[in-house]
Amino acid sequence: MATIVSNNSHYKDELKRKNSKPLLWIALVSIVMFFGGMTSAVIVSQGGGSFIPIPMPIGFTISTYIIIVSSFVFHFGLIAIKKENYGLAKISVVLTLILGLSFVFTQYMGWVTLHDNGFYLTGKESTQESSFLYLITGLHIAHLIGGLISLIVVLVKTVKKRYNSDDSVGYQVSLTYWHFLGGLWVYLFFFLRYSIA
Amino acid sequence: MSTHHTKDFLFTYIFSTDHKMISKQFLITGFLMGFVGLIMSTLFRLQLGWPGESFEVVELLMGSWQEDGVMAPDKYLSLVTMHGTIMVFFLLTAGLSGTFSNLLIPLQIGARDMASGFMNMLSYWFFFISSVIMLCSLFVEGGAASAGWTIYPPLSALPQAIPGSGAGMTLWLIAMSIFIVSSLIGSLNYIVTVLNMRTKGMSMTRLPLTIWAFFLTAILGVLSFPVLLSAALLLTFDRSFGTSFFLSDIYIGGQVLDHTGGSPILFEHLFWFLGHPEVYIVLLPALGITSEVISTMTRKPIFGYRAMIGSMMAISFLSFIVWGHHMFLTGMNPFLGSVFTFTTLLIAIPSAVKVFNYLTTLWKGNIKFTPATLFSIGLVSTFITGGVTGLVLGNSALDINVHDTYFVIGHFHIVMGLSAIFGMFAGVYHWFPKLFGRMINNKLGSLHFWITIVSSYGVFFPMHFLGLAGVPRRYYTFSEFPMFENMVDINELISVFAIAAMIGQLVFFFNFVYSAFRGPKAPMNPWKSNTLEWTTPVEHFHGNWYGDIPTVHRWPYDYSKVDANGEFVYGEDFIPQTTPLGDNEKDGGEH
Amino acid sequence: MMTIIVVIAAILVVITASQLLKLAELRAKSKGELIYELTQEENKAQGAMLLLFFFVFMGFFAWQIFAWGDRLLPVSASEHGVATDFLMALTFWVITPVFILTNGLLFFFSYKYSYDPKRKALFFSHSNKLEMIWTIAPSLVLTVLILMGLSSWNQITTPIAEEAEHVLIELTGQQFNWTARYAGADKKLGRSHVTLIGGVNGTGVDTNDVNSKDDKLAKGEFHLPVGVPVQFVFRSLDVIHSAYFPHFRSQMNCVPGVVTQFNFVPTKTTKEMKALTNNEDFNYILLCNKICGAAHYNMQMDIIVESQQDYDNWLAEQKGI
Ligand code: HEM
Ligand SMILES: [Cu+2]
Ligand SMILES: [Cu+2]
Repeated sequence: MATIVSNNSHYKDELKRKNSKPLLWIALVSIVMFFGGMTSAVIVSQGGGSFIPIPMPIGFTISTYIIIVSSFVFHFGLIAIKKENYGLAKISVVLTLILGLSFVFTQYMGWVTLHDNGFYLTGKESTQESSFLYLITGLHIAHLIGGLISLIVVLVKTVKKRYNSDDSVGYQVSLTYWHFLGGLWVYLFFFLRYSIA
Repeated sequence: MSTHHTKDFLFTYIFSTDHKMISKQFLITGFLMGFVGLIMSTLFRLQLGWPGESFEVVELLMGSWQEDGVMAPDKYLSLVTMHGTIMVFFLLTAGLSGTFSNLLIPLQIGARDMASGFMNMLSYWFFFISSVIMLCSLFVEGGAASAGWTIYPPLSALPQAIPGSGAGMTLWLIAMSIFIVSSLIGSLNYIVTVLNMRTKGMSMTRLPLTIWAFFLTAILGVLSFPVLLSAALLLTFDRSFGTSFFLSDIYIGGQVLDHTGGSPILFEHLFWFLGHPEVYIVLLPALGITSEVISTMTRKPIFGYRAMIGSMMAISFLSFIVWGHHMFLTGMNPFLGSVFTFTTLLIAIPSAVKVFNYLTTLWKGNIKFTPATLFSIGLVSTFITGGVTGLVLGNSALDINVHDTYFVIGHFHIVMGLSAIFGMFAGVYHWFPKLFGRMINNKLGSLHFWITIVSSYGVFFPMHFLGLAGVPRRYYTFSEFPMFENMVDINELISVFAIAAMIGQLVFFFNFVYSAFRGPKAPMNPWKSNTLEWTTPVEHFHGNWYGDIPTVHRWPYDYSKVDANGEFVYGEDFIPQTTPLGDNEKDGGEH
Repeated sequence: MMTIIVVIAAILVVITASQLLKLAELRAKSKGELIYELTQEENKAQGAMLLLFFFVFMGFFAWQIFAWGDRLLPVSASEHGVATDFLMALTFWVITPVFILTNGLLFFFSYKYSYDPKRKALFFSHSNKLEMIWTIAPSLVLTVLILMGLSSWNQITTPIAEEAEHVLIELTGQQFNWTARYAGADKKLGRSHVTLIGGVNGTGVDTNDVNSKDDKLAKGEFHLPVGVPVQFVFRSLDVIHSAYFPHFRSQMNCVPGVVTQFNFVPTKTTKEMKALTNNEDFNYILLCNKICGAAHYNMQMDIIVESQQDYDNWLAEQKGI
């Protein structure tokens, strides 16, 4: 009988609605600690030796604008969903996806610039600061890929009109994560700008 | 029909999302790993007790890792490293937290399952894979990781420095990364479950102390494990891709390496930022279990419920700002050293509060000595005995002479190893009826306790003397030093006790397996306990309660509550949490 | 063969034990008892055993002090070591009573309050006063220990001023041996770096640096003058080592890429210590105390403390760079 309770799809939906946001928030805390570890590693390393500054590639600056804009665009989609305007929501999610991909692209361009200027991720020629710069931006991208995947899921569900004005938890989770990635990037950008670059 | 059966089997026993099954999976995997760690310690104790002597077991178990029954020096270090890693992470982090957080959080807060059963299953399977990889690393060329469980670079980064830093170390890092993911997923789930899934009436001040302990443990995990992950990642880059985060100016094997600019000290900071909270990740659940067991078995409310929560919170908070006490002698800024001394010694205060509260709980109690009680009392004893020497190690001026000696080994084995193990045993004995629906044998249980406490004090107490005599840890043998010649008989004594401890655990394994299958059937509430888990039926099913989840009306520690006439309030010496408060009754948690 | 016998014996033990357990359960059942309920005698017995255990434990402790007390390190051979030894003793005088008393209470309560169906446990759930007391009391004791510790710590970690009279020694660790380099007459160590290692220059001293010209090297053993502050700087060529001088209550890690320092004043010559410990073979020793590879257990160097005169003579005989 109670076995039925826990296999009950209504019960499962209920659980999801109730718990997915808190789960996300706490996961974000641990991501913050992860990057906290990385960035304090930069600070500790700087204390030890002489850092040679690296010019911040323009690609990173552009990507900062892109990710900020994308956050707003994605947010409009939620407003649209609250009004059950699926057309607008669709556009906003697609646009976010495009902006997200351009973020990846501009980051890539940033790395190309670094590489062309003789700053390498690894190897004899690499320095600690260049390694950190690649690694930290790369790790951010790794987290962003998770965001992109969730965007695709949200897109599919928006197209299928799975969200409505009462129930848009899935959308909100993805949105929170996306905002977080944006905030994280802005922090990393300024941190790197003033510590390494 | 048969495919249906296999599918049933698969989802009931293997890919179960039921927290009770996952709890058992954690328990069994953890114990198996613990057994491996135990065998390792016995093997290297053979070497330390009778250095250079040939042993048939060494020959049998260690294959080419030995010559003529004597283990090789670098393999000794492999064993020590794997022993430490397995005990701390696999037995006492995943095994202990995984088992009891899973079993008790939903049952004691009144939930049908975890916030996400799927993530819970994932957490176990990551742990399982990580265990398998860790064990596989014993068999790669060069042997398992051998840089100590703290894997300080450059030793852990350079295969030229020690063979175990080759493939063995790579697998160690992979296994640990997977382990961290498992632990993070698990902790997320525990936190959200406690916050979000409590039954009606179960306010935070009515939570059993076990739940508080698991909750704080999970928070510690979420905050500290990611930092270890970042350290592991940077180390992987240094090892495999030629970066220099931790490496600089190294001349080894007749060659100057390309790495410049890095610092091993950075690694130590990152490692110990996890490493110290890890000590409490191991310890807090054990303390939580003890609080619960002691209160139930003394038939008394736990003394100072709020102070217990407060001290656990204080310990958790402080544990994040003391990591530097492991690094006093790395050449850190002396002022920083002073700060860490200060914060470290502060931890003694909440710890002392906990001890005195336990003692007061026992005072004028009516104590039933089940094996769980015995182990809980054992825990309080080891927590005191190991804790007091913390005042020596935490004081930077004193640490200079005992740092990295056997004094440290004695200290942390007693305060962390034994306490946590005792807590875990207490939990297993106490909740055995909940886990397996059968009772575990008391007589064998107390035999197990007596062998364990005598032999483990016998192992670890003398180590303080070794340390005060300047005997360093992680030494393959002490026979190279005339000044340690008179330590031979102490080491022998320790090894004899270690073998006894190992044999004592066989009693437990037998009792455990026998009782799980053949023990007498358990009644619903064998210990006359107040908490919610004893309101669930003995047999397991997914969902925990038939019908509605009970509502909670009071804190969990109303034992032996008497009215004005000195009679038990409800005629019994316990009042389950589901009993509504009487008219002029006050809830115990609020004061 | 041995293995097979052990396995067979183990199987037999397991079978017998299972049978015994089954029997015990059946017997309990026939008497209408529950095997998992503790009888009052059992409770009493366990309580008594716990108290007994306390005495055995304390006896074990006392026996160890008695039997092994003289195997600990001899009195400190360095100046600051006297102060830290005092603090160590003080700490032990604080923690030992606490250890005995709290363990004593724990086991005594266990004995005194073992289960009795005729008695009621006391419902005593909190007392702000008591909790206050045991928050404040440890805090006060800790304050004393912290303050004393920190003042020692500050003294110990302050490097010797350059102009003060002292001996300057660079200790370089590498798998698995130590090299000592004395600053020589100019009291200055020449530059050194791993990239300069080659041939006989095992630690990478810069031979072009004027300061290195009069530096002296020692391996296997090194000497210190008694009563003169010794300033050490530490280097490592490969992995982390730790220079541990147990008799001088001194220790410092040697970290590749970083230079660390420590100083102490040796106060007793090797000869004096031989007499003091009644041991002709006594020797001061430097050992490695940070896991550093397979032969970590044997990375040592002898230290000879002697009069200034003997020391000067010895140093004059040592190789230059
Ligand atoms: C009867 C059981 C045990 C015995 C006989 C034992 C013995 C030892 C000994 C002698 C060492 C020092 C080896 C050396 O420095 O050369 C050691 C190291 C260690 N043990 Fe245990 N131990 C036992 C159980 C545990 C438990 C339960 C834990 C869990 C906390 C644990 C954690 C560690 C750790 C972390 C190290 C340090 C490893 C390293 O140096 O990297 N041990 N053990
Ligand atoms: Cu610590
Ligand atoms: Cu060494």
